Amino acid sequence: MLQFIVRRVLLMIPTLFVISALVYFIIDLPPGDCVTSQIEELLARGDPDAHARAAELRDLYGLNHPLWQRYLEWVGGIFRWDFGLSCQDTVPVADLISERMMLTIIMETSTIAFIWIVSFVIGVYAATHQYRLGDYVASFIGFIGLSIPNFLLALVLLYVGKVYFGLSIGGLMDPEYIDQPLSWGKVVSVMEHLIIPVIVIGMSGTAGMIRRLRANLLDELQKQYVVTGRAKGLPPMRLLVKYPLRHAINPFVADIGGLLPDVISGSVIVSVVLSLPTTGPMLLSALKTQDVNLAATFLLFVAVLTVIGMLISDLALAALDPRIRFGSSEK
Amino acid sequence: MNSADLRYPQQTLVADYLRAAAGVVLCGAPILLLDVNRWLAAFLLAGFALFALFLVRTALRHRTRFVLGPDTLCADGPVGTLVEWNRLDRLKLSYFSTKRDRSDGWMQLSVGSTGGRLIKVDSSLEGFHDIVERAAEAAKATGAPLSDATRANLRSMGIVVVGQEEL
Repeated sequence: MLQFIVRRVLLMIPTLFVISALVYFIIDLPPGDCVTSQIEELLARGDPDAHARAAELRDLYGLNHPLWQRYLEWVGGIFRWDFGLSCQDTVPVADLISERMMLTIIMETSTIAFIWIVSFVIGVYAATHQYRLGDYVASFIGFIGLSIPNFLLALVLLYVGKVYFGLSIGGLMDPEYIDQPLSWGKVVSVMEHLIIPVIVIGMSGTAGMIRRLRANLLDELQKQYVVTGRAKGLPPMRLLVKYPLRHAINPFVADIGGLLPDVISGSVIVSVVLSLPTTGPMLLSALKTQDVNLAATFLLFVAVLTVIGMLISDLALAALDPRIRFGSSEK
Repeated sequence: MNSADLRYPQQTLVADYLRAAAGVVLCGAPILLLDVNRWLAAFLLAGFALFALFLVRTALRHRTRFVLGPDTLCADGPVGTLVEWNRLDRLKLSYFSTKRDRSDGWMQLSVGSTGGRLIKVDSSLEGFHDIVERAAEAAKATGAPLSDATRANLRSMGIVVVGQEEL
């Protein structure tokens, strides 16, 4: 296992370097830079010093340097938690993202916990109660979750919450707690406001997981060894937990790695719709204005989370089911 | 059956030393040369410890020879141990691969006899198949429990242990 962990971690390091380079260079590919739009605004206002101001800003953001030099400075700064200056507000990226990153991590972690818990319970129930009312209801919820785009669900809940229940769904905390230090009241407010975004963002992931777990478990439950176990008089719960569930859970665990990027990318539009102070809306605006430092920092974080998710998923799979697959060859 | 002296091939050891060194340098160099943020430093230190541990394990493997005999498997080295086949109570054969399609992987055998420490060997060890075969025979004789994964991996090596169902 140590050898496996070492090889996987060793693969992660160059992977992250390649991703960081690709992200940085691709964001910079379109013509112009983050100063272009600001200067166009100044020119439209008839500012005579617009071009001098542009040169000043380009100097401040280091845009006069070649791209590779800016990339190396950005990568070197990551170790000091210094991601350079953001073009949008001329403030360090680290200051801009710190609180939003924390709220994003809380929201994404809650969403993933919601997906796992809900889909596990419903998936197992649907498989063990096939073609009964509960199974039909679970399948219906599954199809609804898969077919409705997250942002549409967010809009519907926003409307229903406001019109029928008088609830303020937007934001991640009550307005009086914004920019206030951490307190019990703030924590409670964040938790209350998390419910709707977590359901909205987690809906499609949950639906997919329910269907996958149900299908896998049904496959296992129809195998000969389950019939034998039943015939030998094994208690139903023990028979379910000890054998079929253990096998059916493998693809479920393998999905952990893919879940993180799905949830993060799915939450961007939902965050815009629900006015959530997470990284999503800021990333969208950074990409639109070609704020390379800010956008690349966000995307690098997503990449780090994805790679860590994949590592966790691979380690869990290796621990759960270290068996050779058909078609794979032993060295 | 005569005793056989088995060692890890030089090529495997060199590859493992290179992996360990690369990891130690990649995780250690930023801590030594740059002013690293303390949270990142914690991550890098964890990585450094992992690769340092791997380096130690590789060095131990380098200095260990395995003696496969009719009654025992002996790991003769700095942290040596002995497994008696007639007292075998633990056998686990795992398969690992870093590829998504799980190809080009390697096997790891863990065996232990009552009251003794485990011996773990990888499939890169010369004579690995002979050790697995002998361990499977011993498991059949002692009735050591085998997991589903172990049985599947044994089958993939052409070794079937009958009478080892878990149900």
